[in-house]
Amino acid sequence: MSTPAAETAADALTVLGKSAKELRALGDARHLSLNDAEWAAVQAHFKSLKREPSLAEVETVAQTWSEHCKHKTFTSPIRFTEGRKTRTIKNLFQETIVAATAAVKKPWCLSVFEDNAGVVAFGKKWALAFKAETHNHPSALEPYGGAETGVGGVVRDVLGCGLGAKPVLNTDVFCFGRPDYKGPLPEGAHHPSRTLRGVVAGVRDYGNRMGIPTAGGGIWFDDDYRLNPLVFVGTVGILPQWAVKKEVRAGDLIVAAGGRTGRDGLHGATFSSANLGADAPSSAVQIGHAIAEKRVLDALLRARDRKLYSSVTDCGAGGFSSAVGELGAKSGARVRLEAVPLKVSDLDSWEIWLSESQERMVLAVPPKNLKALEAVFAAEGCETAVIGEFTKDGRLLVTHHDATVVDLDMNFLHKGLPRVEREAVWSAPASAKASGGVEKKLSQALREAVAHLNVCSREWVIRQYDHEVQGGTVIKPLQGVRHDGPGDACVIWPHAATGDLEDFTGFTVAHGLNPDYGRLDPYWMAMACVDEALRNLTCVGGDPSRAALLDNFCWASPADPKQLGALVRAAEGCRDAAKGFGAPFISGKDSLYNQSKDEKGRELPIPGTLLISALAPVPDVRKSVTMDFKGPGNALYLIGRTNDELGGSLYHRLLGRSGGEPPKVSPAAALDGFKSLHAAINKGQVLSAHDLSDGGLAVCAAEMGFSGEFGCLIDLDEVPRDPRIYSNETLLFSESPSRILVEVTPENESAFLRHFGKGAKSAPVRRVGQTTANPILKVVGLDGSSIMEEALNELKNAWQKTLPGMLG
Amino acid sequence: MSVRIQPTNTHLIEVRLRPEHFDAEGASALALLQAQGLMALKEARVSRVFEIKGPLSANQVLQAAKDLLCDAVTQEHRVLAPTPAPMNGMNSWRVEVWLKPTVTDPVGETVREAIAEMGLPRPDSVRCALVYRLVGRTTKLQLEKAVSKSLANPLIHRAVVTEAHP
Repeated sequence: MSTPAAETAADALTVLGKSAKELRALGDARHLSLNDAEWAAVQAHFKSLKREPSLAEVETVAQTWSEHCKHKTFTSPIRFTEGRKTRTIKNLFQETIVAATAAVKKPWCLSVFEDNAGVVAFGKKWALAFKAETHNHPSALEPYGGAETGVGGVVRDVLGCGLGAKPVLNTDVFCFGRPDYKGPLPEGAHHPSRTLRGVVAGVRDYGNRMGIPTAGGGIWFDDDYRLNPLVFVGTVGILPQWAVKKEVRAGDLIVAAGGRTGRDGLHGATFSSANLGADAPSSAVQIGHAIAEKRVLDALLRARDRKLYSSVTDCGAGGFSSAVGELGAKSGARVRLEAVPLKVSDLDSWEIWLSESQERMVLAVPPKNLKALEAVFAAEGCETAVIGEFTKDGRLLVTHHDATVVDLDMNFLHKGLPRVEREAVWSAPASAKASGGVEKKLSQALREAVAHLNVCSREWVIRQYDHEVQGGTVIKPLQGVRHDGPGDACVIWPHAATGDLEDFTGFTVAHGLNPDYGRLDPYWMAMACVDEALRNLTCVGGDPSRAALLDNFCWASPADPKQLGALVRAAEGCRDAAKGFGAPFISGKDSLYNQSKDEKGRELPIPGTLLISALAPVPDVRKSVTMDFKGPGNALYLIGRTNDELGGSLYHRLLGRSGGEPPKVSPAAALDGFKSLHAAINKGQVLSAHDLSDGGLAVCAAEMGFSGEFGCLIDLDEVPRDPRIYSNETLLFSESPSRILVEVTPENESAFLRHFGKGAKSAPVRRVGQTTANPILKVVGLDGSSIMEEALNELKNAWQKTLPGMLG
Repeated sequence: MSVRIQPTNTHLIEVRLRPEHFDAEGASALALLQAQGLMALKEARVSRVFEIKGPLSANQVLQAAKDLLCDAVTQEHRVLAPTPAPMNGMNSWRVEVWLKPTVTDPVGETVREAIAEMGLPRPDSVRCALVYRLVGRTTKLQLEKAVSKSLANPLIHRAVVTEAHP
């Protein structure tokens, strides 16, 4: 048995006087992920203190300075070389994402980039907290547990946002390798189909058991994700506006609530700063406990409404070390580890301090409220423990029995991270001309397009999620007469949380993601993602001028200047899109180092991936629309201009063609079109609306048709377009952004058109055809002849059977 | 004088679907194993085993099994012997998938609390395993490999494959 003193001696590290190489070896053995400059800073700090650090201190520093917690790449200086020009970016995050939000200056942004989630106003009394993050590395190792704890983590983020928000929607986006991948895989890697099944099951079980509807999301398949799947988990929560601000006061007690602390998930944060390899620590993986988190949620919200605590945050990566460190960053904190309730009694001090056991929250509680708070949590069967107090001396002091475990200056911990300048290079692809591939018949291309993995029905996944719980899902993920058509976005009416049945304001959440554009130019990928997210939410009735955005960057190692260069391009795209659309970023996250060694030992990086998630209020949920055709004889209008920009498109992928121009967004015209459509939807003049994305006009019209079981006749000559386009294929399959196909009754046509401007800068809108009773997709080509006549039920069959065919 | 230390009681309870019901979980497990190449497997049925440790008597554990762990309409339960006698399998297999001791078992924790809420003594620990009974021609080695790629993740699970009497 070890006495505290002996334990401390065993925990001491020898850092002073060691060479960089020795320190690196020490870091590797302990999974610390500190680089040379960071080790040097630690060494210098403890040299000035004239003592060796304890293991817990170095671990605390490593956690706090990890990519996961401090976003080093995004906040460090970068020397960016673009063609022949080189410039220095001091802080990529500040100069792109934050600068854009500051520039658009929206008064309804209540809290941005400060808290665990971004917060926007929702009516006069309420606010919405929105957060999306990734859980990629754990999901690669253990898909079920990784996805589950990912959902648990983001739900806790929203719960620990402000004084606590009630989660009302989960949304999940995944990137996987093809489920029918036949090639070799390295030892220990899961097959993509197993990853998919596990991740979907994890998201399902956690969300369903907590009673949160999972109603939004998407999946992207690409074999370059086979070793590094991406799992984006997002949650929207609702909280009263008075609960948005929180402040820790000196003298507040530090109260741990929820699950007990065990040896789970050690090194999760530092693990995210390392390439994924066979030697990943198994302790980084956990299984979530949804019921425990639900109890924390219920107790916490009750305590919030009684104003029993002054601040709260979740125990995420880094455990108590980051939760207490964050809360006490401005004041100081004193923690006694012996007071922490443990799962097993043989934990070392540093393990208690850094464990990432799930379902725990940390609260700052004024001493006079402690009794009442304990009673509220006890009523839910939820354990609490006072583990210390917040001070005002600016120090982080952690003891275990009589031994000092951590004694650090908050200033060093939060501001001492040395910034290393990195190199980034971007060079545009040499040729913009598309090349290669074999021509296909249009009807053949359409059939392959609807059956393509990135287009086909997601029903196999969606039906596993409970998207109805809480009873507010007005527009559901699957739409149409048979409830199986692909919706653009969901609309939620959070009456169960607000208790107000007279107020019909709701909100909608949509996503944009397309790594294929990023392969050509990450800048235009970022623009296209923002555009896609906004047009999706406009389609269902969301207000595009009130949209708030989240960014999630998933990239390979930023140590590679080319990868970092692409990341810089994408971030600049985000900045310009946010400014152009007047949509602020309110929160975001990045996950880097998504690469691992394939079966031949070569590094396999993921394609640079950006997920844009957008949240917008729906002024009246009763006016929201779905995407299926509602009847025969209605006019079809196409909003937005079609250009010859098939680079990165699904059509090129089907033909095996590479290169070409990626679609380019002009935000001003796009926003004008979205706003006009929104006005028309609000007046009830729109029967259905669906955005044109993968597969362009052809896939969009087919989806609207087979979901509503009405056909349509489209004349390509009427499509608003670049006059230089002479090809039917381009008009059918171009993925030019900002375009929406809208169904309007003949009586409403003139009223509908009045919402659209006629100026040079406004979005073009033209009647391109009409719906028909016979469920056939008919297209008239530029020369006036019929070029396509496809039975919609056959297209639907092809669209529906892809995923079940691969997963059984 | 020798002191006899009473070991903590360990009870194993198995809960399974009655044979007349279609076992969807089993069918899905069978498909996963067949996708791993074990085409000669013909049947799979799934049950759950609860390992309950603590100051409970055999009768108390039975009561928990009957009233808490088992849905009397569709399921049946039985007490397992701690070390089942080895039997000649004749193409019958039993695969137990346990979470490793270092991994939190949320089902086990919930059962532990629920037993205490029934008014029975609180168990020291409860762990839950999935048990697959398989019928079909294969070898232990092949089956172990297929299980590690489909039903269990060696990182967090311990899978025990035995030939078992049906």
